[in-house]
Amino acid sequence: MTQDETTPGSALAGRDSGKVRFLAGREVFFDADGFLADPSQWSEEIADLLARESGIERLEKDHWQVIRFIRDYYLQNGRAPLHRELKKGVGMSLMEIEIRFPGGIKQGARLLAGLPNPKSCGM
Amino acid sequence: MIYLDNAATTFPKPREVLERMVDLYAAKGVSPGRGGYDCAQEADELVSGVRKRLCRFFGGDDPDRVIFAANATDALNLVIQGTVKPGGHVVSSQLEHNSVLRPLQHLREAGLIDYDLVPFDGQGFLDPDDFSRAIRPQTQLAVLTHTSNVLGTIQPVEAIGAVCREKGVPLVLDTAQSAGLVSIDISAWGVSALAFTGHKSLLGPTGIGGLILRKSFDVRPTRFGGTGIDSQELIHTQTYPHRLEAGTLNILGILGLMSALEYLDKQGMEEILRRERALARRLWEGMAGLKRIKLYGGPAWDRRVGVVLANIEGMLPADVGAILDGDFGIATRVGLHCAPLVHRTLGTGRAGGVRFSVGPFNTEEEIDQAVEAMARISRSR
Repeated sequence: MTQDETTPGSALAGRDSGKVRFLAGREVFFDADGFLADPSQWSEEIADLLARESGIERLEKDHWQVIRFIRDYYLQNGRAPLHRELKKGVGMSLMEIEIRFPGGIKQGARLLAGLPNPKSCGM
Repeated sequence: MIYLDNAATTFPKPREVLERMVDLYAAKGVSPGRGGYDCAQEADELVSGVRKRLCRFFGGDDPDRVIFAANATDALNLVIQGTVKPGGHVVSSQLEHNSVLRPLQHLREAGLIDYDLVPFDGQGFLDPDDFSRAIRPQTQLAVLTHTSNVLGTIQPVEAIGAVCREKGVPLVLDTAQSAGLVSIDISAWGVSALAFTGHKSLLGPTGIGGLILRKSFDVRPTRFGGTGIDSQELIHTQTYPHRLEAGTLNILGILGLMSALEYLDKQGMEEILRRERALARRLWEGMAGLKRIKLYGGPAWDRRVGVVLANIEGMLPADVGAILDGDFGIATRVGLHCAPLVHRTLGTGRAGGVRFSVGPFNTEEEIDQAVEAMARISRSR
């Protein structure tokens, strides 16, 4: 169940033109590119909802393997895994990961794992 | 790793450049000209020698008008902010890097100046007539990139210089992508100031760059401090080059630049450019035949350096770059390349593209591997 709200007046006002949405029974803050503004708001239920919106009917085992690896790595290291770490950690090539997520790696897998938006213009 | 991000910085640097830089620094790395002892004088002579060498290299007319800065962005800030006056106008182009766009925008938002940006054509070239039309009576400066960092196109500086000279507008040239690769003569081209960086095609270290000013062109200091001369005065010295250099110089970087210039002399800039162009052309032609791959600009190889911008239909450039790196060991630069207006014009303003930029140490085999990698990625979805 999702319900979109506009930013003005919310706690997110002034934050990068993001928006607040009502997801999984609570307010969740997103930035303008659809990334969670606060990674601690992530939950598996939210990942499921966002995945459906991105065109993944149901997150399968290999999706979760990627999402959990990225998320665990981020929580332990404070950053996303390097490309070679991701590849080794999930046992898939980056091409295989990219294909599994309609939004690709950076705006698909990473977004569903609840990592912050990489602000580099190269991301 | 196959390194194809040489437009960001050349890598690796020639070992002999690094070794000579470190050896000289170990022997003479004191504050140049600041002390009364012999070593300080010797260090100062080394620095003066590099100024003379750079002056000749770029066709300047006074070694004292060679100003050291941290990089091209720093040098451009120095010259732009030290030249324009309130109520003024600047002409530049849509091809510029943020190193030009952001200082101009900053000055516009401060209410000091206005600026216009001339467009580029479908191949990535500027038209000198557009510069002529954009110049107003209030125009105080024209700023131009010599070579686009996104498309690799070399701009007709001599013709634009002639326009600026005729209209009495000083021309500043950003050579971040061309210095060390394309022969430059600012005196012949009617350029008033040139900004360069040491760590790209000049093959020096990061942290060193500068300005070459013509004798006829003055720049106001915008930062102030110790210079080692006129110390009794509280007002910053007006004597070049110290007028625009405050604080201890980056002598390690300057010695690196010197070593790099010696290396380039031995290798021959023309030969490096010829080789890089041939490799970029091989890359372009290899990718041009692949389905779902879009290339930007055009194959005017006699007016380009070794930069190729590509995208794969239906894929984010950031992901293509990640796959090139993670699955194929190929380093490229993805995104907007700090040149947002170029990408906006190309229709890639949101996600950008994948930029391959060859350097002096790339090989045909590496280029063929990059083509093969792009072919495989383009077939993956």
